[in-house]
Amino acid sequence: MSNRQAPAIEITGLNKFYGSFHALRDINLTVSRGEKVVVCGPSGSGKSTMIRCINQLEEHDAGTIRVLGTALDDSVGSIDEIRREVGMVFQHFNLFPHMTVMENCTLAPMLVRKTPRAEAEATAMRFLEKVRIPDQAEKFPGQLSGGQQQRVAIARALCMKPEILLFDEPTSALDPEMIAEVLDVMSSLATEGMTMICVTHEMGFARKVADRVIFMDRGEIVEEAAPDAFFSNPRNERTRRFLSQVLGH
Amino acid sequence: MGFVGLFCATLLGLVIGLARSSKNAPARLLGTIYIEIFCNIPLIVQLFFWYAVVTQLPNPRNAIQIGHVMLTGRGLHFPGLNVTVLSAVVAIAIMIAALFVILWIAVARRFGRVESARRRLLSLGVLVTGILGAAVALSWGRIPETPLVSLPELRGLNIRGGFQLRPEIYALAFAITVYGAAYIGEIVRGGFKSVGRGQVEAAQALGLSPWRVFSRVRMPLAVRAMLPILINQYVWLIKATTLGIAVGFSDFFMVIAGSITHSGQTLELIGILMAGFLIINFSLAAVLNRVNRAIALKGKQIGVAQ
Amino acid sequence: MTDLSIHAPDPSQRLWRRLRSEYFASPLGSILTLVCVAILGLLIWWVLDWTLFRATFEADARAAECRANGGACWAVIANRWRLIMFGIYPYDEQWRSALACVIVIATVVLSCLPRMWGIIRLAAIWLFAALAFYILMKGGALGLSRVSEEQWGGLALTLFLFVSTVVIGMPLAVMLALMRRSEMPVIARVTGLFIDAIRSLPLLAILFTFAVVLPFVLPAMLTGEKLYRVIVGLAIFFAAYQAEIIRGGLQGTASGQEEAAKALGIPYRYRISRIVLPQAFRLALPATINQIVITFMETSLVVVVGFVELLAAGNAAYNTGEWKFAYVEVYVFISAIYFTFVFGLSRYGAYLERRMNVGRR
Repeated sequence: MSNRQAPAIEITGLNKFYGSFHALRDINLTVSRGEKVVVCGPSGSGKSTMIRCINQLEEHDAGTIRVLGTALDDSVGSIDEIRREVGMVFQHFNLFPHMTVMENCTLAPMLVRKTPRAEAEATAMRFLEKVRIPDQAEKFPGQLSGGQQQRVAIARALCMKPEILLFDEPTSALDPEMIAEVLDVMSSLATEGMTMICVTHEMGFARKVADRVIFMDRGEIVEEAAPDAFFSNPRNERTRRFLSQVLGH
Repeated sequence: MGFVGLFCATLLGLVIGLARSSKNAPARLLGTIYIEIFCNIPLIVQLFFWYAVVTQLPNPRNAIQIGHVMLTGRGLHFPGLNVTVLSAVVAIAIMIAALFVILWIAVARRFGRVESARRRLLSLGVLVTGILGAAVALSWGRIPETPLVSLPELRGLNIRGGFQLRPEIYALAFAITVYGAAYIGEIVRGGFKSVGRGQVEAAQALGLSPWRVFSRVRMPLAVRAMLPILINQYVWLIKATTLGIAVGFSDFFMVIAGSITHSGQTLELIGILMAGFLIINFSLAAVLNRVNRAIALKGKQIGVAQ
Repeated sequence: MTDLSIHAPDPSQRLWRRLRSEYFASPLGSILTLVCVAILGLLIWWVLDWTLFRATFEADARAAECRANGGACWAVIANRWRLIMFGIYPYDEQWRSALACVIVIATVVLSCLPRMWGIIRLAAIWLFAALAFYILMKGGALGLSRVSEEQWGGLALTLFLFVSTVVIGMPLAVMLALMRRSEMPVIARVTGLFIDAIRSLPLLAILFTFAVVLPFVLPAMLTGEKLYRVIVGLAIFFAAYQAEIIRGGLQGTASGQEEAAKALGIPYRYRISRIVLPQAFRLALPATINQIVITFMETSLVVVVGFVELLAAGNAAYNTGEWKFAYVEVYVFISAIYFTFVFGLSRYGAYLERRMNVGRR
């Protein structure tokens, strides 16, 4: 059902208001398949809001969003279909505490894609191995460390075999020593060709992995460029200020 | 009888609590009105009210009749079985045991790996066994020389035959149902409120349909959150029921007048009553706490952030 | 970057959206909305119709007229309100009962105002209120005739029971809670047993014991009036539950604070009163308010031991031959009174909670 030729994500004229607060101002963004985009910016700039609009966890007020060729409108059917193809990893992991790791990973494929249990479990083990915690499959989220939980969350999203993965500040809630293990997993996903949009403050990761870096401030996209150009030669004054704050300490 | 009241209260409470938590505004309003009204009026007042309603029903001559069931100010009469009390109790016990086993099969982790088809077959088997067992118990206890089923009918000024429920009983059941449902509804609402938004969003992001998000994520987590408070509420309700029975059977107003004629006996009675209450209380709490521990969320709750 | 004239979606558009998502989100939702609205409408109409439109308000209306009108027969209230409010208090002196009620309510309301919060001020007004209440109700001084406790009844009695229970029970609860965490194991364990035992018993049993059993067990000297025995029973019951609530609050308060206070050499009584208890109370406030509300509702239980408080008075009011049909109206009236107090208390509790939370964090 997804159009093979269409770009992964096409956002035109996106606007969102919280009451009278203009959270997203006329966002225009196109992401091609296999592209890795990193979004950065100060807090309150609207980066999380933007990617949450992509899988409609937030509803936009104006503009169009096309995911894999399908426009997102208010009909419930289209939203659920899109969410099958778009995976999301949250800042606070949001694993289901009453299910084991394995159950967390197999729940959606079995219910939504109607995958038989054996196949779903095999897929889950494969992805758990990829994120390097196959031995925790029968544990409950409460028994794992933060880094482990986030890797489970990534595996859970992968089990739905999405075309696009969204990351909403995946390492912001982790202790420093666990950030590396999660970033490693994300890097290996990137090299395998997954389309990724990642909101993060981890500039090292951006430099290494991103095809494009976007800087957002006060609800609008201020600058976008390839990582080399972005980090060495930012064009906009606001970008420069932000970079000096984030990198300079 | 108390359990019937509890059961009904739970069902009604679930409905009310769900209504209160739903996205639908009018449903929310209805739920809120119900809860506020019935939570803020003492149980005793509600009890007396229902009792008054129930005793002011027409007398046997003008009984309200639906099929073979008759309702009057003196009681509720419906067709009964002519069996000994013991066999009736045994039959009911068997059925309850069967139900518990079925519940256990459905919920316990032990059976998590078994195919649902086989589980359903097993439950069916248990159910059939239970019904058979109950039937055996009943037929074994049949009172000879009487028809199996006895129907109530008006004879003279009263209704004879059949099984009679005194008005105190169902007045109490009604009051407990209505009152309990209000409190349970509030607890249900609290349970749903405590489910982290993050989990719901994660389920949505995975593409689960709204119904699935509710049944697989919101509901189980809400139940686990509610259970401790619900246990407390049940214990309280059961205490209230047993009290109501004691008061009801000696006629509400008789106790008032200080009708203590035999002081010595009363002391012993009270002593026994108190001991009984302590036992019931502790054992109930123990059983329900075990259930709570069995389904509680494992591990420390790190990472379960809002 | 761009300067589009995009405005916030106007209020009417947002209202429409909200209407849609909250009321008509799906076919099922729409049906639910319609059904609920229909039920609501019917309820409101039915209630208004019964209580106002078709009701009989004249005091001298009787059964026949009421039935003819088909609605509520408020005449029963008009005729029997004195019984409900004051019980069997002598007719001529009922103004005293009324005045006593007003004083109690005024005191409670005053204590709720933040301005009156100071131990000395609170103690003073409560003491004054208690004295005034007692003198007014009992009489025997200041030229007022004597009315024994047995004749106290109705709403006045309910209020008296409630207030006495809380006033006596609260300090008792604090004491019990502190004793339970005492460093002397004997005291702690005995107190623990006592609290758990009381909490396992139904209130009715305790009331019964105090009202009826105690006179047989204790020598006549120690046995006071039945009313005061019952109050003691109620207070002990309240104290047991409240002690657990306070204990919860104490446990939630960081122990490091008490250690810091100890290190500074602050003596026990100040440690407890200035540092630990205020924080414990702040944490325990919601549960405390809940407990107080429950206590108010529980006062109605004393009907079983023979007191003509609000509920019993109501029962008596309609149980005479001519008014027997009007039980619904009487219960509605009583329920309305209970509801006002209980709901008012709960709302006040919510207000307190909000106030307390603003100060923290």
